[in-house]
Amino acid sequence: MILLAKIALGIAGVGLASAGVLCSEGVVNVKVVEKQPQGLHIHVIAPAMLAPIAVHLAPQRDLAEAARQIQPYMPAIRAALDGLRDSGDVVLVEVKEPGEHVEVAKSGGSIVVDVDDADATVHVSTPIRAISSAIDQLAAASSNSL
Amino acid sequence: MRETMRKRTKIAAVLCLLAAGVMALVVPAVAAPAEKYLHVNVEDPTKGEKVSVNVTLSMAEKVLPAINNHGLHDGKVSIHNAEMNGVDVRALLDAVRSAPDNEFVTVKDNDSDVRVAKANGNIIVHVIDKKNKEQKVDVTVPLKVVDALFSTAKNDELDIAAALRALSDAGDVLLVTVQDSSQKVRVWVDSRNTQD
Repeated sequence: MILLAKIALGIAGVGLASAGVLCSEGVVNVKVVEKQPQGLHIHVIAPAMLAPIAVHLAPQRDLAEAARQIQPYMPAIRAALDGLRDSGDVVLVEVKEPGEHVEVAKSGGSIVVDVDDADATVHVSTPIRAISSAIDQLAAASSNSL
Repeated sequence: MRETMRKRTKIAAVLCLLAAGVMALVVPAVAAPAEKYLHVNVEDPTKGEKVSVNVTLSMAEKVLPAINNHGLHDGKVSIHNAEMNGVDVRALLDAVRSAPDNEFVTVKDNDSDVRVAKANGNIIVHVIDKKNKEQKVDVTVPLKVVDALFSTAKNDELDIAAALRALSDAGDVLLVTVQDSSQKVRVWVDSRNTQD
């Protein structure tokens, strides 16, 4: 009985540790709610660590093309991410129009995008560290393709 | 006697540690300058539209040198000599800097009214465009920022990154307002992370 309890404790510990490692870079939170009846209702919470892994697993040819396109903007993107990481929480951009509201903010180490229009509400939250890692993976893909 | 001395030494050591801890907490809070934000606000009440942008100046300082495009390079922008019309801007700035507060230029014609003045360490430009929906433009730039803008060694460059640094050191300032019959644009710098 004690042996079983120890094994269960070990498995739980490994599970907790794995979850901890997976969530160490925070989580990506995507929520889409369509406003029409029977509309789409999606809510995905995924470990942000998966983002750079997904970039790594993407088809090399497509990745190389994306990397080639983003390459000229890489220094500016990296500088912006560094600056954002160091800055406090702030609403970066807010656009209000009749029936439409868009907000891009830095909140607690994440970039949060909220869109609310006549068709749907969309909420996307991504840790800046995960964006940086994904961008680094893209840059690596570019250098590998050369 | 020796026991009492030891006790006092311990108390003194604890007090020193406490003082050091308090200093470590307080000094950075006092010494760290407040983050400055560049705000842009565009409002069109006739259409019910509003756009707000808030960027930390420190972030803008980091991003700017990383952009090399369309005459912008290393935080500096190239200006063509032809656009200067042979005016020695540095000499002009020296003259303005040493002059007392005054209105330097006043132009009034059928199309527009233009006033350029120096007041409280700022260069102030007022333009009323009579042709374009009575558009009013007010620009206020601290002289220190203008100096930083022209601080490069080359005559045909403006150092935008240096101007941003100077702007960080300047106080809260309303830089630009543009107003016409429908739209209002404001650009300003302060230490608040919101526009409320």
